[in-house]
Amino acid sequence: MAGIRLDDVSLCFRVRKIRRTTFKDFLVSRMYSKTVNPVTEVRALQHLNLEVKDGERVGVLGHNGAGKSTLLKLIAGIYPPTSGTLHVQGRISSLFDIALGFEWDASGLENICYRGYLQGETPRSIRAKAAQIAEFTELGEFLTMPVRYYSAGMMIRLAFAIATAVNPEILLIDEVLSVGDLAFQQKARQRMLEMMQQARLMVMVSHDMDSLARMCNRGLWLDHGQIRMSGHMDEVIQAYERSVGQPAHDHRQAG
Amino acid sequence: MLGYMQEIWRCRYFWTSLVRMDLRTRYRRSILGLGWSLLNPIMMTAVLCTVFCPLTGLSWTEYAPYILGGMACWQLFSSAVLQGCTAYYQNESYIRQQPMPLAIYPLRVVLGATIHFLIALGVVVVFVYTVPSALPTPQPLRLLLSLLPAVALFFVFAWSVAIIAATVNVFFQDTQHLSEVFLQMLFYLTPIIWKTDMLQNRQEAISYLVMLNPISRFLDLVRVPILENRAAPLEAYLTVICCVCVTATTAALLMRRYQKRIIFHL
Repeated sequence: MAGIRLDDVSLCFRVRKIRRTTFKDFLVSRMYSKTVNPVTEVRALQHLNLEVKDGERVGVLGHNGAGKSTLLKLIAGIYPPTSGTLHVQGRISSLFDIALGFEWDASGLENICYRGYLQGETPRSIRAKAAQIAEFTELGEFLTMPVRYYSAGMMIRLAFAIATAVNPEILLIDEVLSVGDLAFQQKARQRMLEMMQQARLMVMVSHDMDSLARMCNRGLWLDHGQIRMSGHMDEVIQAYERSVGQPAHDHRQAG
Repeated sequence: MLGYMQEIWRCRYFWTSLVRMDLRTRYRRSILGLGWSLLNPIMMTAVLCTVFCPLTGLSWTEYAPYILGGMACWQLFSSAVLQGCTAYYQNESYIRQQPMPLAIYPLRVVLGATIHFLIALGVVVVFVYTVPSALPTPQPLRLLLSLLPAVALFFVFAWSVAIIAATVNVFFQDTQHLSEVFLQMLFYLTPIIWKTDMLQNRQEAISYLVMLNPISRFLDLVRVPILENRAAPLEAYLTVICCVCVTATTAALLMRRYQKRIIFHL
């Protein structure tokens, strides 16, 4: 059983005006005082109640800064909730900031191992998958080169191949569908669909209404850190498009 | 606490592979590989021997292993502090991607430094056994038995110091800079290049400061068994154990308080 449950979850970033202080400033400019360096509270998520069950594929939409990515990172366990409780059951695999977290001096093949271990693989399980990952990247002999010399597209190919090689129960995706060149994009889309069939539960953030409509069966509209609407994906998309003044059209057929 | 250690153990493949990579790139980048990274302490020893041996009347066969042993320990300590400061920033992209026990990032730094320390220590031991000098040849079994706990204590100490440095550096950016100044002072207050008996009948204030310096007790733990063929004094052990307890507790408390919150400050 995989599942996510949020009970009255809020997340609040406390941002100081001058973010990183030095010990010198601390003493000399009195950075510790609230008047010199005031704290602003950013309420990224406010009193969210959400339950996602087995088999649901949730598409999250909303304008920039609505808290979509923050919600994913909260579910992934990277941000702790400021208040409320979060229950997550199942092995998580997350696809966000996938181009980050490479060891620049190590080769592509070595990075496959490091990333694999980061996602909880063991030497035995990664050995079985490494060849498959390498093949998916289509990078061939470039894989023995240090990642330092890779182009951005090559890096994304590698990252995507590693991140999607695990068999997660919960899949968290943040805007990664537009990766690589056209050929790889199609391949990536195919891989995502396969993964979604294996994963029991998915939460996906995207601004691409077509892919949301095609891939998700439940929609969640976030606005200023609050749930504005939750329901069937198509209905949520229609409501969202109406609110931004775009004529609604049927994405199911368009995609 | 136990659960936290178990979690660290669970992701062991991740950090051990990173440590292995760190060592490999460190040695691969240089022609002489391993020897190259030992060059700094060895050259330093050579220079100090040339300068101090005639001054103090010590023979270089006694003085060289003394300095080299001291330098090995000092490098472990100073890299725990200095590289520890950058541990979270260097691994920021991992921290932002996967919730892992944060202590593994200082551990990555310290494990690398400890392996380095062991290699340097190996050089000292080989020196003592092969180069004929006035020093007593240590009995192998006793040497091993006294070095093992010393290395273990030193490792825990270095790890907790690195955790403390990493956490403080997140809140105060100039921690590394301040640590450099502090380490510079401490270096001269620690009997690394000079011997404690050289201090006798000198200014009381200095000897008092040196006495208080816990790092010199760490050095005793390593140097006394190698160079004098006897166990380090009990007093040294007690001081070191107290020291380790204090830093380890501080590190554990910091981790407990900030494990979840560091991400907001990176």
